[in-house]
Amino acid sequence: MSTELEQKLDTLTDADYARGLEVFRGGLKEAEASYLNACVRCGLCAGGCHYHRTEPELENVPGRKLDHIASVFKAHFTTMGRLAPGLVGAKRFDRDMARAWVDAVFGRCTLCGRCSMNCTIGIPLPALFRAARRALGAMGLVPEDLQATVENSLQHGNNMAIEREEWVETVEWMEEELQADTGDPEARIPLDKQGARCLFTVNPREAKFFPLSLQASAKVFWAAGEDWTLASDGGWDLTNYALFTCEDDQAAAIVKNLTDAMTRLGCQVLVIGECGHGYQSARWMGPEWLKQRFPFPVVSILELMDGYLNEGRIHVDSARNQEPVTLHDPCNLVRHGGISEPQRRVLRRAVANLVEMAPHGVENYCCGGGGGQLAMSRYRNRRLAAGKKKADQIRATGAKVVAAPCHNCIDQLSELNKEYQLKVQIKTVAELVAAALIVPTHSEVLP
Amino acid sequence: MSGLMFHGQAVALNEEGFLVDPGIWNEELALALAQAEEGLEALTEEHWSVIRFIRGHFEEKQGAPMVRAVCKATGLRLQRIYELFPSGPAKGACKLAGLPKPDGCV
Repeated sequence: MSTELEQKLDTLTDADYARGLEVFRGGLKEAEASYLNACVRCGLCAGGCHYHRTEPELENVPGRKLDHIASVFKAHFTTMGRLAPGLVGAKRFDRDMARAWVDAVFGRCTLCGRCSMNCTIGIPLPALFRAARRALGAMGLVPEDLQATVENSLQHGNNMAIEREEWVETVEWMEEELQADTGDPEARIPLDKQGARCLFTVNPREAKFFPLSLQASAKVFWAAGEDWTLASDGGWDLTNYALFTCEDDQAAAIVKNLTDAMTRLGCQVLVIGECGHGYQSARWMGPEWLKQRFPFPVVSILELMDGYLNEGRIHVDSARNQEPVTLHDPCNLVRHGGISEPQRRVLRRAVANLVEMAPHGVENYCCGGGGGQLAMSRYRNRRLAAGKKKADQIRATGAKVVAAPCHNCIDQLSELNKEYQLKVQIKTVAELVAAALIVPTHSEVLP
Repeated sequence: MSGLMFHGQAVALNEEGFLVDPGIWNEELALALAQAEEGLEALTEEHWSVIRFIRGHFEEKQGAPMVRAVCKATGLRLQRIYELFPSGPAKGACKLAGLPKPDGCV
């Protein structure tokens, strides 16, 4: 039991519960509300949930998690729930139910959506869990470390509170490394290049602690002769943790950093680096949050690399990646985001032996790090236990390298690697492509 | 919350093994954390140069430094940092330096 949570529950007033209910109901579309009375308790969702697959207890059944939410909905928003609560399983929103909601939607769910694939009714469980998270947020019940990550983005323009000069210095450092790696003194990592075709965005984790993936992406752009840039001041961070707190006004403010940078720099294509929730946020949720159609395409760097290979703009030698590679499917990129084949086409060319997990693609299992879990320390043990499903899948492939086109997943997979002694290397797709590049001579790079 | 036995006393760690109270950190405790959390039996001068720089940065500015700053201050190559701290700069080095867990995808 979390003391932070209990202390917060102690302070809740009737007005807080009322506000939570109001936000919950207000955030539900009518179709979503109808789904709150649709579960037939078939139990098939359980097989899709990595929490339940690793720990088969009732509270880990997605339908049970939904039941906590539906029972409150019935009590407060349906006639039968008010008249005969016992008959329809309606429960008032009180301290116990608030605790049950927090436990269900923050503590046992990564919003991965795998349960919905199994659902006989087609209930969009992640949308309903998101509505519950949004309500809990209005009551101040979002775990503090998750909320802190959102606050960083709102105050500093990136989720790790990196200062502009620190970011610029790291980019310049990676440019020097790129020049040393390619032997091309003209190789650039452009900053604020006005009118560049592509605005590239990264996860602050790369800048702060793991910049080699930035260097790898830059090397691919260099080889392709791409006209690209990074933004120095706001609009370089692709993350949006408000996707996980489900506070849509904050999410809109964060995604606006990207659209503002596109306008400021006059770029044509917004390119999202290897990040699942960042892609989902910019590509699909962003226009919803900002209530506007973006006047530019949003693409994943995976799509760009796929295009470069198809068009012959870059060439790779798969012999340079000899060890067996398996591919992790980030839920926000693949199941929610619709990007499944580009990374597979890229890897089939860039590595000698790609071994798929079973299942994979849209039917993948979550690594366990999604939905903001990595930022919520209090659920760490559950997160690692639930990740065993993914660890077992990886082990079964016999792969020595896991390609993971998502920095959030990479962090979870790194912990699983240690916890379950997988003895694998975890890399971005761009790192594998960069390693396999048949490097053009300098004169061939120039347009 | 878990604990680490240190000189017969339980030191409070959060669920991820970071010190609950960064203020109680000292170098002996760093070594105990290295053994308990990072699987490192001993810390070399290279480890200490990283840990001391991160700790100094934290005491001055309240946050974790960029890995760029770590490399510059210690003269170590990036790859060497990853070798020294198997859990990485955040969950390895920052943890041993007694920092709270950095925000973000770490």
